[in-house]
Amino acid sequence: MRAVLENTTVRFLARRLAYTAVVLVGVMVVVFSIVQLVPGDPVRIALGTRYTEASYEALRAASGLDRPLWEQFVGYLGGAVTGDLGVSFRNGEPVTAVLLERLPATISLALAGLVIGLAVALPAGIYSALREGRISDGIVRIASQFGVSVPDFWMGMLLITLFSSVLGWLPSSGYVAFTDDPLEWLRRVTLPAITMGIVAGSIMTRYIRAAVLDVASMGYIRTARSKGLAPKVVTFRHIVRNALVPVLTITGIQMATMLGGVIVVEVVFAWPGLGRLVFDAVASRDYPIIQGAVLLIAVMFLLINLLVDVLYAVVDPRIRLS
Amino acid sequence: MKSRMLLAGIAMTGVAALAACSTGEGVDLDGADGRVLTAAIAGEPDQLDPHKTTSYFSFQVLENIYDTLVEPDENLEMQPALAEDWELSDDQLTWTFSLREGVTFHDGSEFTADDVVYSYNRIIDEELSNAWRLSAITDITATDDTTVEITVAQPTPNLLSSLGGFKGLAIVNEDNAASGDISTAPVGTGPFSLENYTSGDSIELVANEDYWGGAPEIAGVTFRFISEGSTALAALKSGDVDWTDSIPAQQVAGLEGDDTIVLGQNPSNDYWYLAMNQAKEPWNDVRVRQAVAYAIDRDAIAQVTSYGTAEVNQLAIPKASSWYSEYDAYSTDIDQAKSLMADAGVPSAEMELLVSSDYPESVAAAQVIADNLAEIGITVNISSPDFASWLDAQNAGRFDMLMMSWLGNIDPDDFYYAQHHSAGGSNAQQYSNPEVDALLDEARTETDTDARKALYDEAAALIADDASYIYLYNPSVIQAWTPELEDYEARGDRAIRFKNVSFSD
Repeated sequence: MRAVLENTTVRFLARRLAYTAVVLVGVMVVVFSIVQLVPGDPVRIALGTRYTEASYEALRAASGLDRPLWEQFVGYLGGAVTGDLGVSFRNGEPVTAVLLERLPATISLALAGLVIGLAVALPAGIYSALREGRISDGIVRIASQFGVSVPDFWMGMLLITLFSSVLGWLPSSGYVAFTDDPLEWLRRVTLPAITMGIVAGSIMTRYIRAAVLDVASMGYIRTARSKGLAPKVVTFRHIVRNALVPVLTITGIQMATMLGGVIVVEVVFAWPGLGRLVFDAVASRDYPIIQGAVLLIAVMFLLINLLVDVLYAVVDPRIRLS
Repeated sequence: MKSRMLLAGIAMTGVAALAACSTGEGVDLDGADGRVLTAAIAGEPDQLDPHKTTSYFSFQVLENIYDTLVEPDENLEMQPALAEDWELSDDQLTWTFSLREGVTFHDGSEFTADDVVYSYNRIIDEELSNAWRLSAITDITATDDTTVEITVAQPTPNLLSSLGGFKGLAIVNEDNAASGDISTAPVGTGPFSLENYTSGDSIELVANEDYWGGAPEIAGVTFRFISEGSTALAALKSGDVDWTDSIPAQQVAGLEGDDTIVLGQNPSNDYWYLAMNQAKEPWNDVRVRQAVAYAIDRDAIAQVTSYGTAEVNQLAIPKASSWYSEYDAYSTDIDQAKSLMADAGVPSAEMELLVSSDYPESVAAAQVIADNLAEIGITVNISSPDFASWLDAQNAGRFDMLMMSWLGNIDPDDFYYAQHHSAGGSNAQQYSNPEVDALLDEARTETDTDARKALYDEAAALIADDASYIYLYNPSVIQAWTPELEDYEARGDRAIRFKNVSFSD
């Protein structure tokens, strides 16, 4: 029995990995084409407004942009396989090193944002579903609608005004690595994490509420109730536990989105993460950085999806991985 | 109900507790002089190689790391820096610079004449973006360790401002440049040296105790990149940063009465302008261009872009500059504009106005301009791509009119020749007037300052009469800092110099 299970698991993982690799190559082709298609010449941007045509040609050749496109792509693909994503046009730094330098800030912000989002969404979503149709349910639904709709830019400004300018409790911006000073990291991550957590939490609240209502209307719940099980037991052991399976998906998606770096939040709070890196790289048409960052975000997305699939199999034995 | 109140209470207590754990920004244990200045700039440098970058954010940092042979004082007159003095031969073709002795780079190596030769040759030989500033030079020789001879093809009265006007002509260290480290870990001779660079977050400089101009009083400077102006101001007011220039123009009025900060406002040498594509009809007709110049409302444009902080101007050069000359041929006069259009036989026209979303002020101005020109029968379609696409469109001539600014102008040759000479490298509007060409050619080599100024005054008036450019206004340099910061001033050339500042107790 165990051997069979291991076999299917191994086969499932192998299939998933192969699929992941195919998707990644696809991502690279698409991203490479898109950055080339976007108007705006990286060399002209680097040179600014005053230069001679000779300077232009010299820099184009130095960046390798004068080579044919297919040659550039093959070179890029060859490098990517060995983990070499080229060097930034802006400062000649290896792209891989730049991405790794930016990753911790984004990961720590995403985790903090997710924790806040879940801390809001789990109680609010479950509570709202159990009180379906009552005033308190209405309040939660209106509040979550507000949270989904509010622009994170405006929310961020509001938090800065309240907690930094008026109360002077928290710094308005900047980043300190968790490993350098956990407390200072916490002080600085709080406002951006709340900004992200409110949006993610509102989305998850609505999702959790729907999932709980869905499960609550099922036949086996009626059976459980009619058997005379205590309401608490029915609610938590049967309804909520089963409702949390689909919630994994939305949590995974939210996590992956945040790992891509929430550009607006990172720009407002001067947070040195991936989102801000992509923002700056697009403005200066730093092709290698854009390509590398999108690739990294795609890899993280796929890994999280994989993780969610595996967790599904763990929490729900009925899910046969086909 | 009770439990919800309790939850809210717990949440607030949590935030307050975090606040209580403040590590205390700006705590200094060794008196005011040991304090590090934190400056919030509006973006991240693209790279730190002074010869290759064109980003203002880079120059804000590099200003404090590097030196040039000469450097501008507050009146933009060139003063000794790495060169102690200089002589010009009688034929005006050989400049001999005597260099300061005992200067060292941040890595401890000695600064000599070879470094000057290497730096200038690097810019010229590699065709770097500032090569045009050295185009008059035919030879650079180190005659001994402390003497450099520069030979020019023709008299070049603006050589000093080319060499010292900004840090793009910095004297770099050969090992540092050749290894490529210069782009992220530059080694200069300036008042501060680079200590740490955290990508996306900050650059830390420490005071150079061996600086030839005397060690700075402050312990160092940390540049943080905060592009969102409101965030930067909040950080300034809460004491998280000591200085910023990331200030939205619309917030300036609100800051003027605020005594928790010092607001520095100085008219800059930058200018905003409009230019019409003279390779296209009807913009090749000078009367149509003049009609546009009469139709626009400069005051309204300056108001929407700068909220009253800018100085309207019909020429490039601001009042404070020694090159300033009076000119006021144009005022908003719709009747005059209409009759010029009628003379030109253009009852109506369509115009694509090219501005850039990366410069929100240009987008705001475009709305006003569209409104103004509608009155004289010109329908304006505004196109506002990002700056990269804007540059492409400008270079390909895909525009009827464009709006942009030029920064850091010191010598008139810099901004008249490139933009209005038939052979100018930035003459995207394709203006060609033999009279202007002759004046600009002559002014380039005229060594008598008064005679040179007279030539530029004449050329500038012709350029404005022909509406090659319609100059709009000179924006102000707007910076704010903590009252504890002393001996700092906002300079018209936007050079951010922290070498002489100190903190009061």
